[in-house]
Amino acid sequence: MNRMQGATLLKYRDHRYLKVASALVLLAMAAYSLSGKAGDEDFGGTLLGYLLGIAATLIVLILMLYGVVRRRIGGTMGRRQPAKDEKATRGEKPFRAGRLEGATLQGWLSAHIYLGVLLLVLATLHTGFHFGWNVHTLSYVLMLLLIASGLYGLYAYLNYPTLITLNMGDDTLDDLLLMIAELDELAAARALALPDEIQALVQKACRETRVGGKFWQQLSGEQRDCPTHYAVQQLPELSAKYGTHEQPKMIRELYALLLRKEKLLQRARTDVMLRARMRCWLLLHAPLGIALLAALTAHIVSVFFYW
Amino acid sequence: MISCLLIHVSRTSHGLPVRQAGVVSGETIQLGRGAGCHVHLPDHHVALHHASVRRADDGALYMDAVGDAMLKIDGIIARSVALQPGMRIEIGPYLLLIETAPAGHDIALSMEKVHAPDGHETAVGLRQPVTLEALGYSKRMLGAMLAAGILLLYMLLPMLPSVSQALDKWQADLPVTLNGSWSSGPLAGGHAMFEAKCSTCHKHPFQSVADEVCTGCHTQAGKHLSNETLHKRAFGSMRCTDCHSDHKSRAKLRHDAEKCVACHGDIKRINPDSKLADARDFTVSHPAFHLTVPDGMDAQGVERRVRFRQQDKPLEKSGLKYSHKVHLDKAGISSPEGDTVMQCRDCHRLESSGEHFSAMTMEKTCQQSACHALNFTEPVEGIVPHGSERAVMSRLREFYGRWLADAPENRAQCEAGSATGNACANDLARRNAAATLFRKDTECGECHEITPAANEDVPWKVTPPRINRDWQPGAVFPHARHDTMDCTACHDKMNSQKSADIAMPSIEKCRECHVGKSPVRGKLVSACVSCHRFHNGEGK
Repeated sequence: MNRMQGATLLKYRDHRYLKVASALVLLAMAAYSLSGKAGDEDFGGTLLGYLLGIAATLIVLILMLYGVVRRRIGGTMGRRQPAKDEKATRGEKPFRAGRLEGATLQGWLSAHIYLGVLLLVLATLHTGFHFGWNVHTLSYVLMLLLIASGLYGLYAYLNYPTLITLNMGDDTLDDLLLMIAELDELAAARALALPDEIQALVQKACRETRVGGKFWQQLSGEQRDCPTHYAVQQLPELSAKYGTHEQPKMIRELYALLLRKEKLLQRARTDVMLRARMRCWLLLHAPLGIALLAALTAHIVSVFFYW
Repeated sequence: MISCLLIHVSRTSHGLPVRQAGVVSGETIQLGRGAGCHVHLPDHHVALHHASVRRADDGALYMDAVGDAMLKIDGIIARSVALQPGMRIEIGPYLLLIETAPAGHDIALSMEKVHAPDGHETAVGLRQPVTLEALGYSKRMLGAMLAAGILLLYMLLPMLPSVSQALDKWQADLPVTLNGSWSSGPLAGGHAMFEAKCSTCHKHPFQSVADEVCTGCHTQAGKHLSNETLHKRAFGSMRCTDCHSDHKSRAKLRHDAEKCVACHGDIKRINPDSKLADARDFTVSHPAFHLTVPDGMDAQGVERRVRFRQQDKPLEKSGLKYSHKVHLDKAGISSPEGDTVMQCRDCHRLESSGEHFSAMTMEKTCQQSACHALNFTEPVEGIVPHGSERAVMSRLREFYGRWLADAPENRAQCEAGSATGNACANDLARRNAAATLFRKDTECGECHEITPAANEDVPWKVTPPRINRDWQPGAVFPHARHDTMDCTACHDKMNSQKSADIAMPSIEKCRECHVGKSPVRGKLVSACVSCHRFHNGEGK
């Protein structure tokens, strides 16, 4: 999705869901302030409290339904494509085509976003601003985390695709990795004839330089003590050290190779980072949704169990 | 000079060895990655100058490792070795075999690269996962685990105590109770002791807390209305918890004042015969105060009270004559101890309840500091007690009887008809009582209203004083909580010269500090229950 699509997402059908959500927010806030309960010790258990709770629960169910709808409409688009073709679909969630009961997936997502923000207001009023160490506040906190991760996701989908395109141009990550591997090979061949110290440096840069990796390594977009970076830093010094009686031309060539590799590495890592940051929230958002459903069930059951 | 026959061994596609021989010679034979070495071993695992072969003094040939390099001789790591035919030397991926040297050569060395060539495979660092999906985290699994944990801890465990009483009792002693996480807030006041045992009040699952649970302990809580029919009509299916909801605050059980307005906002709807005015909010909809004064007893011996609207300015009929102005004079009032400036609290003593004032008495209040001794002066000076008219007269007769007995010539004071001493004493007592004690404006009459009575022995009647204790029995007013104020800020008594003046503040006075349910800056929000009590029965 690019910026234009992002804008469509928020402006879907002339801000239909923004209008719906705003109206409900205003209605809820007006009801809350008119009920005269502000500052009192009331929470969920008043008539308004129950109404807000019921509304919030319904919204949660609608929001969860998006997860189901997304799979069904996404299914008609074809399953996730092989990694090689990912470039073609990268950043485009498959929501352009497909309809479910007359609504596009984009419409669903637009509603999902605005209803999520509406939920924040309704549930907060439902608490009456009373919190404690209990299942009720647990549900609220889970909901906050869920909405926060969702808002982060919105931010990511609106911004990162552009950054990814700017960074990668026409290249794919696989292209970059191939180029890096080629540079490694060339550099290693050059280093064979060079002093052990330089050779070891180049070997380390070839073997231990990393792109991607574990969760945090992907998110950070850098390798701590990157051996290639270290080699680029060290080579001029070593060149001075051995330059008088070794082949200065070969060392210069090696230096040029490593510099090119470092630039490619930076682009490759940035790509991994941007895509990881664009997707990481989902790892939290989806499980939190399920957890919230459980906590909400416990919350509602507890209220009526001890009526 | 060492002459070395160097045999390069390579393999055909069928794995058959191909041997190419050459000769290298020098003072020492150098082996290494470097292009300048006699035996060139181009591989990253080999040092630039890895080893050299030298001739020792005894003529034997030795291979020594150079610098940090290592040799692997027949599987054993070594730094230096005397070369023998048949010996296998591994340097990096290369295997060197010492063969029997043909004539003209000091040594024969075959070399073969036996390990796979390196550098052509993508390094491990470039084969790491580059997408989060490739890490294989399962969102569903994580979600399912979270959900299962939450349902176990916050739904299943809290339900258990209601299944088994023994379990309920056991869990109450745990540092963290099983169903503690269900409590939406702290329990109020004394209820805090039930916090570990929800079943104290929540007897049955999915059933609201019954009134019997409350009245089981709170046996003294009175009904709001004594009339059963009216009570039913007004409160129907209402439960205790409709007004008293717990789990709100440790401080106190909350009272929902909104519920009062449901009836009292339009009281005629509930009870067409009610004499009460409608009240919705203290600031905007509350009737002006009424004052009630005692009016004798009814047939059942219950005090009857008459209710006045405050604006009708009722008067108090206390039977006393008393000027607050005189007593509260800023210049002081004369007393046996000299001029004294009196304070309200010198006479009005707050009861420990903090609401009402102790009844005032002659002895404790008026005769403190020896003020208001009851003297009579005619024909001689004496003191009578503060009591009934009959007691006063008895004391007078006794006094004069003794006075006549002590000095019979005093009989001259008696009237001619008083033949006996007793008759004379009676005569003196009645005469002097009429002249001093029971006059309308001095002695007893200074404070009491005195009327003539048709009684020969005591022909006067002192109106019994009745000071109103509670002007507004339908409300409570905690004087103790208002002790930061001057009494006279609300009760305008400084210039009151008569006991009949009633100095109860009007509702406007209260509204200077108190507002109804809508908060106003600088004022106190006061709900119905700030002044009215629900459970004290009708009229409160």
